[in-house]
Amino acid sequence: MPSTVTAGSAERVPRVNSLSANDLWLEVFGAFNFLCLTGDIALAHSENHFRARAEYVPLWFSLIAAVLLIGALIARLRSNRLGLWNYLGRLVGWASILVGTAGVVYHLDSQFFYERTLKSLTYAAPFSAPAAYIGLGCLILMNRMVSPRSREWSQWVLFFTLGGFAGNFVLSLTDHAVNGFFHWTEWIPVASSAVAVGFLLVLLFLDAEAGFLWWCAGVLLLQMCVGVAGFALHLWADFHGPAANLFANVISGAPPFAPLLFPNLAILGFIGIVAMARDAS
Amino acid sequence: MSFRSVFIAIVIAFGLVLGAFLVHRARPSVDTEQPNADFVRATGKCAECHSRQQYSVVHEYEMSKHAAKGVSCLECHQPAASQEKKEHNGFVISAQMTSGNCKACHEQIYQEFTRSRHAAASWAAVMGEKGLTPEQIAFGEEYNPGYVKRPANALAKLEGASSITSGCVQCHAVGKPNADGTVGNCTVCHMRHTSSVAIARMPQTCGQCHMGPDHSQIEIYEESRHGILFSAQEKLIHLDADPKSLTTRDMFVPTCATCHMSGINGTKLTHNPGERLSYYLADAISKQRPNYLAAQTNMKQICNQCHTKSLIDRVYTQAEAVLVTTNGKVQKAQDLVAGLRKDGVLGPQPFQKPIDFLLFDLWHYDGRTSKHGAFMGGADFVQWHGNYELLKKHTQLEAMAEELRAKHGHSR
Repeated sequence: MPSTVTAGSAERVPRVNSLSANDLWLEVFGAFNFLCLTGDIALAHSENHFRARAEYVPLWFSLIAAVLLIGALIARLRSNRLGLWNYLGRLVGWASILVGTAGVVYHLDSQFFYERTLKSLTYAAPFSAPAAYIGLGCLILMNRMVSPRSREWSQWVLFFTLGGFAGNFVLSLTDHAVNGFFHWTEWIPVASSAVAVGFLLVLLFLDAEAGFLWWCAGVLLLQMCVGVAGFALHLWADFHGPAANLFANVISGAPPFAPLLFPNLAILGFIGIVAMARDAS
Repeated sequence: MSFRSVFIAIVIAFGLVLGAFLVHRARPSVDTEQPNADFVRATGKCAECHSRQQYSVVHEYEMSKHAAKGVSCLECHQPAASQEKKEHNGFVISAQMTSGNCKACHEQIYQEFTRSRHAAASWAAVMGEKGLTPEQIAFGEEYNPGYVKRPANALAKLEGASSITSGCVQCHAVGKPNADGTVGNCTVCHMRHTSSVAIARMPQTCGQCHMGPDHSQIEIYEESRHGILFSAQEKLIHLDADPKSLTTRDMFVPTCATCHMSGINGTKLTHNPGERLSYYLADAISKQRPNYLAAQTNMKQICNQCHTKSLIDRVYTQAEAVLVTTNGKVQKAQDLVAGLRKDGVLGPQPFQKPIDFLLFDLWHYDGRTSKHGAFMGGADFVQWHGNYELLKKHTQLEAMAEELRAKHGHSR
């Protein structure tokens, strides 16, 4: 298997052992995330009834991106068509960066461009949410540019995990600031993502000992627990919301799937940690 | 051991959380110190959507005293007692806003308002008892006897439903009974999202309804010295001064509200203009109100903030003289038409013949104008728009009456 591949390459590669191929797990992760984003966008943009036509772009893009990535993965696994896998991935990656960047700008164009205050940033559409597309796009591109057997690959995966938790820190901070952190439990995801950011920063940028990987794994496990607990708490709040039906409460109330970003990122982190541990051994 | 790495990681995490906590603490307390999370969300979430959908609504609110004091959208829009609830994008709000929503914080003002003729009496003047509960009728009658328990306006009925809806009710709904058991709507004078004292003090606000030939108070005011001074010096007076500490230094030129409602230089503020009105000037034959003496004393106290007692007494003496003579002229005209009805020249139903309308115009336009002009310093309205018209129409009435009697073979 080549360490790097170039765009448009039609080279056929030998079948890979998918259980041990980190880059393939990363592809599955990417495709799954685009699928999840399809549902997430459908719910999030339902809050304002898809007022602007542009709000449909991420919805359709997520679905198409997921289908393309799955198609590319199948093409690679079944027919060893590395070139097609590479081409489609790069297409999805760059398009995702474009969609994400446009999304950040669009989200800021609520109150923030008229009133550049923390308050308008807090109550505006979650400006950092579309950055998920940028992260996913970069992840897909990185998977085609860096050899999955290299230490650099695992570092990049952990870097994106770090970026994700940094985004989670901002999102959970601004989202719960909307409620004024009325319940103390709303500080948990802020603190939890801050811990993840701290550990991943050290892992990536300081010369951490091998044993520190276990600490990081523990921290990622904690993130999974926080995410599941958040999902339950958000759902509980929605069941007790003011609307007559649960769907309306989900649309306007606490987003139940948002906390699942924590376990999602933890999985990404585990992929990176496993790869890094393998390199170390 | 990974102590060093773990320690650094925890320090970074702690720094991030501390930073987040400090930023949150720096938020204005009016945003965060609310009774529940919905109220916190309402301090910004409502505006986020509505500033795009109805910009002016949010902008008007932002300019209001309510906004300055941290009263959020939800505090006014939350369902008051007995109000129908509505789910709205994660919030529970009132399906219909009424004075009941304002009452939650401004109970005293609401109580004064319900005792005024702006309340049930205003509604009943057009619609009669329709929509008012027996309790509301009894309450209204206690403070405005004879003006709430009454039939619907005969002329309005003849003009039809659309005229009532788009015409009469637009003003008289200031005292409309609400489904939640309250009466009226404060926003008629204070405007909806501005909730403004300054706007309520503007003569134009009262002039929304108190205008035209049947109640030409705004035209009289504009002709009066008060109105001229206001036009010239509007920018110099403090229309937005705090009602609790309003002085003649703020409002050295009076508007309608200054004389009829404001507490100026320590005098009592009221939302019942009747506390300062000594006569039922809108009636065909004006009688003294039950609180005649107290009301006149109250109003004279207000006049006295700018004028000497001798001037005030002279104005009242002259105005009461106009009132007495106007009453006499209207009574004479009414007697003339009543005679026709008694003799069978006219049928029992009102507004069937031109003479009915002439009589109605005589008291409803000219009689009222004459009296209002006299009390409000509108000389032209006392004379040309009032007494001249009374004289002219009385002559026309006599000619019509004679003609009608002749037609019916009852010539005198």
